[in-house]
Amino acid sequence: MPSETHLSPVATGEPSAPATGEWVDELLLAGPDSELALHLGAPLDRRALRALVLEREAELVAAGLAPGGSVSLRLPPSLAFVTVLLAAWRLGTQVSLLDYRLTQHEVDQAVARLAPQLLVQPSKPATGALRALFDVDPAYLPNPAGVPAATPHTLIQLSSGSTGPSKIIGRTAADVISELDRYNAIAGIPRRGERAVVLGSMVHVLGLVGGLLHGLNAGVPMVVPPRLTIDGILKALAADDAPTTLIGVPSQAEILAAVAEPPALPGFRRMITGGELVRPELWRTLTEGYGITLGNMYGMTELGVIATDIEGAHRPELTPAPGIAVRVEGGEVLLSRERSPYIGLVDPTRWADGWLRTRDAGEVDPDTGRVTIKGRLDSQVSIGGLKVDLTEVEQTLADAPGVDAAVVLYDEGIRAYVSGVDTSAVDAWLRERLAAYKRPRAVHVLPALPRTSSGKLLRDRAALRSAAEQAADPT
Amino acid sequence: MSETTAAPSKEDVVEMISGYRAQVSKADTEDLDSLELAWLLHQAEQRYGVELDLDDADLSRMHTVAGAAQVLADLVGGRGDG
Repeated sequence: MPSETHLSPVATGEPSAPATGEWVDELLLAGPDSELALHLGAPLDRRALRALVLEREAELVAAGLAPGGSVSLRLPPSLAFVTVLLAAWRLGTQVSLLDYRLTQHEVDQAVARLAPQLLVQPSKPATGALRALFDVDPAYLPNPAGVPAATPHTLIQLSSGSTGPSKIIGRTAADVISELDRYNAIAGIPRRGERAVVLGSMVHVLGLVGGLLHGLNAGVPMVVPPRLTIDGILKALAADDAPTTLIGVPSQAEILAAVAEPPALPGFRRMITGGELVRPELWRTLTEGYGITLGNMYGMTELGVIATDIEGAHRPELTPAPGIAVRVEGGEVLLSRERSPYIGLVDPTRWADGWLRTRDAGEVDPDTGRVTIKGRLDSQVSIGGLKVDLTEVEQTLADAPGVDAAVVLYDEGIRAYVSGVDTSAVDAWLRERLAAYKRPRAVHVLPALPRTSSGKLLRDRAALRSAAEQAADPT
Repeated sequence: MSETTAAPSKEDVVEMISGYRAQVSKADTEDLDSLELAWLLHQAEQRYGVELDLDDADLSRMHTVAGAAQVLADLVGGRGDG
């Protein structure tokens, strides 16, 4: 186990406990009783949502949670996730989110670091290919080693860390509220009377704040198709004539573009993707084929939404969201953020003097102020919209019994080269330790990994590929 | 007697997903990720003129090329569970 600094309040004059829950009522739950709040497989109005949140709050209290307490949610996208999250915030507790796809090993590590008093997870394992929504009955597991919230953060998330274990990212209620204000100030963002079909997972920042929380705040019901089949997505788009925005990732735009003759979708107005920009050809196919606009959003777990091009009018440039200052230093995009988002870690290469270093390469146009993002400066890659740090994968692989050396790089998916073992042993090791989306699509075993003249592991894609081909076919 | 009217084979599955893999620059592997599976189901519906409404059990067998071919062969070739 890596040794970790224990979470402790930072002496910055910030409050030392998470916000009390009034903001949840005022900004998320308030609204006409009969207004559609969410559509998660079935419509749910605000009155019903409020009633469910109160029930969950009573369950959390019965499980021993109190204001100022801490709770981890390991729930897949579900009505249970939404209602437990809102209930825990309403109770004034600190909520950490664990991706439901993490392995037990990864969850155990996270719980040891975060020390939540309560872990909420499905009472039965949640599985199902292509499911965007799960039917979940939450189980409340008190953690005897848990401690109350030690920082003022309302929301805690883990990032895939590029050095050592993942980073702990904390956001206060005030910070989340300021992101909601930013959303409301972005021109072209869905407003009351519109709806949003959200394909991105509600347990990550784009789906969570852009879909769920903005939707509740602005009266834009978040619609999640039960399954992410093409048919499932088209049905969700066709179900209502209200102006509809589709929020997803570029690969989901790819599969929608595969539909030769899309059905009539009178409400479908726009798609907005998070993450990398879609290819120009795909952009044309989709906008012309469906008669929609296709825009892009740039954001990160640390801060939420940062810059947008909602209508796709300035591709590849993005307009910084109101209230976000962007500058570029040495080719790297920096963002204004008053306090460091990282907990238990003072790392000046990540945040210093009010500026967050994104590790993204970019440019700012001095005339328009618009920013262009040009890809990662470190080993982080995006797999289906989820960030994966290749260093974490490589380290896990290098720790496997019998492995002499490992190199992991992105080459048509995550690709690994190892020496010293056979693949079946490595497979089992990775399955136990890494969520499926982080695992290499291919593991090549070589007699020895190629090295530079100074003895460092070679990271050249072409050289590694040809070494693997030779190993597979020595003739 | 079950008919063998060109039930999908592994090669058919690979062919159906190759278009998507080429578009997104993904390597050919035996594993299918969720987007590849979504694409495959849509391609299979168009190619075989069927509407596939699969349950979790079927879908959970489709995370590899071989598994997907087997499930599609069962469905398109006529599943004997009538």
